[in-house]
Amino acid sequence: MREVSVLGVGVHRFGKTGDDIVGTKSVTELCRHAVQMALKDAGVSWRQIEAVAAASSRFSGGKGWGLNGNDIVEDIGSTGIPVYNLSAGCAAGGNAFNVGYSLVAGGVYDVVLVVGGEVMPKGMIQTSGVEEATDPEFLRQRCVGMPGPSFWATLARRRMFDHGTTEEQYARVTVKARKCSVGNPFARFQKEISVADVLASPYVSNPLRLFEICPVSNGAAAVVICSAAKARQFSGKPVTVASSAVATLDFSDALPRGLAGPVPAGPSFHTEAKSAVLRAFERAGVGPRDVSFTELQDNTCYYELAFPEEWGLCEPGEAQMLLDSGQTTPVGCMPINPSGGFVSFGEATTAMGVWQIAELTWQLRGQAGGRQVPDAKVGLAQSNGLGGNATAAILKR
Amino acid sequence: MAEKRSNEVDGAFVEEGSVAGGSFVPTVRVPAIPGLFLEEGGARVLGNRCVSCGTPYFPKAAECHNPHCGESRMEDCAFGGKGVVWSYSVADFPPPPPHKFDKPFKPYVIGVIDMDNGLRMVGQMVDPLESVRVGAQVELVVDTLYHEEGKAYTSWKFKLV
Repeated sequence: MREVSVLGVGVHRFGKTGDDIVGTKSVTELCRHAVQMALKDAGVSWRQIEAVAAASSRFSGGKGWGLNGNDIVEDIGSTGIPVYNLSAGCAAGGNAFNVGYSLVAGGVYDVVLVVGGEVMPKGMIQTSGVEEATDPEFLRQRCVGMPGPSFWATLARRRMFDHGTTEEQYARVTVKARKCSVGNPFARFQKEISVADVLASPYVSNPLRLFEICPVSNGAAAVVICSAAKARQFSGKPVTVASSAVATLDFSDALPRGLAGPVPAGPSFHTEAKSAVLRAFERAGVGPRDVSFTELQDNTCYYELAFPEEWGLCEPGEAQMLLDSGQTTPVGCMPINPSGGFVSFGEATTAMGVWQIAELTWQLRGQAGGRQVPDAKVGLAQSNGLGGNATAAILKR
Repeated sequence: MAEKRSNEVDGAFVEEGSVAGGSFVPTVRVPAIPGLFLEEGGARVLGNRCVSCGTPYFPKAAECHNPHCGESRMEDCAFGGKGVVWSYSVADFPPPPPHKFDKPFKPYVIGVIDMDNGLRMVGQMVDPLESVRVGAQVELVVDTLYHEEGKAYTSWKFKLV
């Protein structure tokens, strides 16, 4: 395996259809902006891109077939290069990064573009796209009616039982996240919010409230990756990809994702996320306590507390104390989502895994402005998607 | 619940019904998804179990998923009975399609239940939020999910005991 670098990154600021940020821009327009920014940052021309790994959207673009990478190539220049369209639900961006990384690490290509972008439909994501009695997700939504927020809410409720987490502590995670987003030019929300504001927002799924759950957003992200050996030929400021990993959930996972599963003997974890992150640690040769900062998938504030414990960044039940003492801010000992996270960006589903790589790159280059983690050396990114998909990547200076 | 609904009409069950033009018109009860659960003789969901390692599945699994199981030997099994609340949440807003519900939407509690039969199941709770607690005892029931074209569509749910 060859060493791989991130050479350039680009993001279109996240927004909501009709606002001043994204207006009526199509997913192709959002992606064009992100790709051109990444190419410029890398000092790479479009003709030097040897392949595209794109996240497949089920919501926008891609000709309705998830051919989002083909849309990019048609828009920017038909150079005849191979296009890989990768589907993994909300983990598609991270999956595309993994495939791009693997192709460069394996010596197939030297310079690859990874891209993801979305124009999301309004409201709660309709998780099942089919009406077939053989589809477990359809059965769950028809027979129970348990959209994403209600899944997260059962986990948040259980944490309150297991660790005594309070609704106010959940609210303080959002307050911390939104404080990080102030001055982040790519965040959809860039204003501070108070605990009282969060607690005054309505329950979406008790005990989780509107401001504690990420909305859907429109946005796009792109990164140019390159073999480390060739990176020197370009003007971009490379950051090393220490590892990239993908996993799916396993039998020991006892979270209420389908209709039923066996009652577990021990505690319940997000096995897909844990496997991907632990594989990423192993391949990078770093441990959880070596991580300078983490960008994790906070569809809800619950995850800022649960995931660091599940991956060994801190002890079970400890995350809320670290939150309360300010240790999860960019200047704390365990910075979580210095970008402001999904709660500040909103989820442009398939863009997220790529956007996380861009954020890690800015942090490791020391270009993160007011959200900069002092002396950031190692960054961890993680994403999750429907179907039991997860991805993780570790970047280092 | 089952005894009150023993009235069979064209293979379906009847519930509360309505009075139209002076005569009683029964509301036909049909499962929201056929073949997934039973109402007559006590609420049960239809799954299977690996005879080798005892792992239960709902809906039916083609093969045993347990990596420590020596041989996958699947046998059909109907699961009912009691359990305890592992956790719960509330659908405070109407879920998007393919969920169906009666209008106006009424928030409902969703239970995650560790059943005595070995399954951790999800399902709506018939009880109000205020009465539900982690660790509370519940039983599997069949209850109306929504009405459409004069029929009551049912699903499995949980009820505090």
